[in-house]
Amino acid sequence: MAAAPSKASQQLARQLFGLSLANGLVTAERVEGVLAYLEKHPPAQPLAVLEAYRRLVARELAKGELIVEHAGPIAEGILRSLEGAFTQKYKRQVTARSVHNASLIAGLRLHIGDDLYEASIAQQLSQLTVAA
Amino acid sequence: MSTVLEQIEQQIAKLSNKAVKKNTGTIRSVADGVAKIDGLSDVMYNEMVQFPGGATGLALNLEADEVGCVILGDVSQLKEGDEVYTTGKLLSVPVGKALLGRAVDALGNPVDGKGPIEAKETYPVERIAPGIIARKSVDQPLFTGIMAIDSMIPIGRGQRELIIGDRGTGKTTIAIDTIINQAKINKVGLASGDPSFRPVYSIYVAIGQKNSNIVRTISALEAAGALDYTIVVTAPAADNPANQYLAPYSGAAIGEWFMENGMDALIVYDDLSKHAVAYRQISLILKRPSGREAYPGDVFYLHSRLLERSARLDGKGSLTALPIIETLAGDVSAYIPTNVISITDGQIFLETDLFNQGIRPAVSVGLSVSRVGSAAQIKATKQVGGKLKGELAQFRELAAFAQFGSDLDAKTKAQLDRGARIVELFKQPQFNPLPIELQVAILFAMQQELFNDVAVGDIVAASASLKDYLIARKEALLTEIREAAKLDDALTAKLKTATEEWKQSYVTAAK
Repeated sequence: MAAAPSKASQQLARQLFGLSLANGLVTAERVEGVLAYLEKHPPAQPLAVLEAYRRLVARELAKGELIVEHAGPIAEGILRSLEGAFTQKYKRQVTARSVHNASLIAGLRLHIGDDLYEASIAQQLSQLTVAA
Repeated sequence: MSTVLEQIEQQIAKLSNKAVKKNTGTIRSVADGVAKIDGLSDVMYNEMVQFPGGATGLALNLEADEVGCVILGDVSQLKEGDEVYTTGKLLSVPVGKALLGRAVDALGNPVDGKGPIEAKETYPVERIAPGIIARKSVDQPLFTGIMAIDSMIPIGRGQRELIIGDRGTGKTTIAIDTIINQAKINKVGLASGDPSFRPVYSIYVAIGQKNSNIVRTISALEAAGALDYTIVVTAPAADNPANQYLAPYSGAAIGEWFMENGMDALIVYDDLSKHAVAYRQISLILKRPSGREAYPGDVFYLHSRLLERSARLDGKGSLTALPIIETLAGDVSAYIPTNVISITDGQIFLETDLFNQGIRPAVSVGLSVSRVGSAAQIKATKQVGGKLKGELAQFRELAAFAQFGSDLDAKTKAQLDRGARIVELFKQPQFNPLPIELQVAILFAMQQELFNDVAVGDIVAASASLKDYLIARKEALLTEIREAAKLDDALTAKLKTATEEWKQSYVTAAK
């Protein structure tokens, strides 16, 4: 288990994360700028800061990416309609990415940020198992 | 009602083809029964969190970047990167009469090997205590069956009376005696068919105790026939601190069911010192700031919110609490003892010195008090024992002075003699609670000075003889005292005749 980052490292990571946002969204240019700054001015715990910074950026990026897990084939149109629906629901630009997952048997599992939407046969079977 | 809604919702969920939304997170670290989790952005404080492998957790620390959860269950299968999700539910335990006679863990799962519990309802473990409007004053007695307590430090239904003392001074014994006495009263009351009789159901919460001690307690309850009216909630020393922290709240939830449904219940927390230690352990692992004796800042709230849940509700039932605190070297001014003393409605202080002198129960009359119980004391006890506390306190003071000189006036000598006899009279073997009518009769005999010519060393035997005499020959009189709950002229005359008859037979037998 990695040592927990100190409060100062977490605070710095949060500040750097704030600098990485433009109009509330993480941009590649800003992140590059932050990384360049860190290279020039390494903090006391560079690894801890970078790991905490990475976690914050990854979490933010995950809010804009819809991962669509599917068992069978999925049409491009469905992906685009999902993108549209989630963009409207989460009030931010969402891009969809499809991932094949045969264990779902049929149906879909959608990840966006911390939220998980599950409409698969595997999930319904597991619900039935719990109920039994 | 909530159960009915849950059933309907489950039925809807079965038929629904809609996607299920979950809020997820991933385990960043697991150590000492606590998991740090990334994500879970929608988690609520105290919400149940589902871990892989069926383990559940309780979200206790909501921080900017992570969530701290205590894990209830097997942590050995959990690892970094495992996915967890919120359940939207607060931790609940099964409640109801189906739990009577059973031993359960902090989550309400049976641990006695007697099969599953058919409970129809669940109650949340954490609940807001009843407010001031819902409450009613304490004015109904709860008899412990211990003469020293019922006569001098009476307890009422809905009261919180602390039992405090060093280790091995008989704290648990007082609690167990009280539970046994409730069972005895329940049996008599239910057999009488009196529609106004209100049985008292008991809940014994064992926190951080050795398993062998818990087994001994359950055996004692079983042997006394009290287990049928008792629920035992166990979080032994071998259990993880999260379960030890939760057990009293689970017990309170089980007790609240009786209270909310118009019944009376008694709950024993044995003991809250270990509960505070378990909470300190969790708090330190969660990296919460520590204060005095390394306890977290909210250790007062930990116990106040628990004990405030004991109450007497208007138009409903009551929940009486007997929390237990273990002191070190009789120090009642330590952090946790002073906290709990200030929360409760009085305390029964047990002294090691008295215990070692053979005075058992070792109740210290000077330091023990019941702030609301006198309103609940029955008139008969007040009539025969109203002045006892003062007399005994005076005796202790005089006894301390008498050590320094041998020349004592007749009045002082008489007071010392009487005090010594009262002390002897209050000696009582464990697991042998006395019905209130017998207590009244014995105290009446003492008031009538029938024990004055009995040697101090023979008082216990004389009192036992009086008890046997009354049970064997004056059962109708005892029933009359129990039902009337006060001594009017006629009853006083009858009791006087009965006790004098006993005295004659006792003196004859002694010769």
